Amino acid sequence: MNKLRRAVMWVALALIILLLFLSIYGAFIGAERAKSFISRLPLVVYWSAFLLLLITALAVFRRLVSVPRLLLIHSGCIFILAGSMWASEAGHKFQKKLFGIDKITTGQMRIHEGHSDNRVILDNKQIKELPFFVELKDFQIEYYKPAYLQIQTPDGQGWKIPVESDTEFSLGPELGTVKILRAFENFKITIEGENRKIIDDPQPGFNPALEVQFTSPEGETATKYVFERFPGHSYSQDKFQMSYRRVISDYISRLRIIKDNKVAAEKDIEVNHPLIFGGYHFYQHSYDAEAGQYTVLMVVSDTGLTVVYAGYWMLCIGVIWHLWLRHIVSKIKK
Amino acid sequence: MIYTAIAAYLCAFVTSLLRRPKTGHILYLLGFAIAVFAFGYRWYHVRHVPLQNLFEVFLCLGMIYPVSVFFRHFLRVGGYSADMLIGAIVLFPAGFVFNAEPQRLPPALQSWLFTPHIAVYILSYIIMAKATFQAILQLADKGPNANENLLPPEPATYRIICTGFPLLTLGLVLGSYWGKLAWGDYWGWDPKELWSLASWLVYVGYFHFRYMFGKKYPQINSLWAIAGMAAIIITLLWVNLSRLFPGLHSYAT
Repeated sequence: MNKLRRAVMWVALALIILLLFLSIYGAFIGAERAKSFISRLPLVVYWSAFLLLLITALAVFRRLVSVPRLLLIHSGCIFILAGSMWASEAGHKFQKKLFGIDKITTGQMRIHEGHSDNRVILDNKQIKELPFFVELKDFQIEYYKPAYLQIQTPDGQGWKIPVESDTEFSLGPELGTVKILRAFENFKITIEGENRKIIDDPQPGFNPALEVQFTSPEGETATKYVFERFPGHSYSQDKFQMSYRRVISDYISRLRIIKDNKVAAEKDIEVNHPLIFGGYHFYQHSYDAEAGQYTVLMVVSDTGLTVVYAGYWMLCIGVIWHLWLRHIVSKIKK
Repeated sequence: MIYTAIAAYLCAFVTSLLRRPKTGHILYLLGFAIAVFAFGYRWYHVRHVPLQNLFEVFLCLGMIYPVSVFFRHFLRVGGYSADMLIGAIVLFPAGFVFNAEPQRLPPALQSWLFTPHIAVYILSYIIMAKATFQAILQLADKGPNANENLLPPEPATYRIICTGFPLLTLGLVLGSYWGKLAWGDYWGWDPKELWSLASWLVYVGYFHFRYMFGKKYPQINSLWAIAGMAAIIITLLWVNLSRLFPGLHSYAT
């Protein structure tokens, strides 16, 4: 190995070790701070140096270019680095300055059911507009079945009872039985004159609850209400602490993209299934936990993504070819 | 079932040390069969591929037998007896430490990437554990018997890492792609992601160091391999169990 090549190798090793320690440091400071840390000037210099080193290595080591699998691995890393820098906040600013491309890097949209909007709230609380409208036709939360009623006594005894109407469960000879009478999606109490009436209100709202009947060993009955949003709620005279637990299986936002007063795209987006349109990806991010009336979408620019994915493919193919396939092929040939 | 598998692996290990390889092999196979049955039963019980939490991951890690056989017969790498011990060690937390209560898959984990991403990582981790054992043998200056037709520890370590590294790379890339689909970003600077990158970088460093110096400094080569395993252990355990690293991967706890 000549002096220049040796120097390049030493620099490569130094930069790899430095990135290793930076990764460990980033893990200790948490995702948010790590994200802002890597976009600071010294780190921008580091990423640029790494990119430059990879390009230099391709120029200095002829083998890295003449052996396709090594070329794939190293140029794959160049693609990933370059694509990520191009997709960053600084990359977007650079594109705006140089080419006049003004794209939103990332932001959030809050849309109510039946409404459309094109305003995106950026991370710095500024508002920017998309060149099209996003309409929320419907928002749904789906739950795993069955849901559970959890009962706990002060001395640590506990039961997990599946929510099935009119089925009686025994809590033992000392405590009696429990029966789930009714499940509410939106529990409300209405007062008409002197009468109190408990209803499952079909109007917008979100207050899931259970009507539970306890029967003591002596035959006395008592009706209690357990609310999903207030787990563990109990009165001082209660023998039990109860929670109503439902596990969310999916969030679904039924979206429509409106451009020039025409429906340009339509998709039910869920976690892992974003909508891709007009250079942006729309993700199910959050929702109205109080009434289930609006959805919060995350809007992310797709700039640089193809380059990063191309880098991933190149890196994976290169590594598998270099470390597995060539050995397998040579063994088969023998 | 987990306790029986641990017992079978430990008995296999002791029997192998007592130079009764055939009995050791049968016990090892028995332990593997029980571990596979336990994994299959868990799968049936939770109704999804059981790779959601640390209990299930360690249960899967316990099915090490095919890896041992592959390395011994196809790559001439030893450590067969040590694999029995590794099998018992990885099943131990599943049997005695982690909560086995079944959990439903949260929306983020309902993806076709769930199984391949975690499975390639699990396979790479068990392979890198084998590499670490060879690296320790190299540092202890111990090798296989001449009549065994097996590689000495240093080249064996290299060969194992060459097998495990593409899986580690695939795990990282699949995870990144999944992150983009689920959270909107292919790199979220989450502690788990950063420790996975750190593990990957240690092996990248190993390859570059070994390219520069070959077998001139075998001890340093071995230390790289051991450092890689240390980073993997932190990625797999410390990140999920410690409050120091809150992040998006908390459901794996």
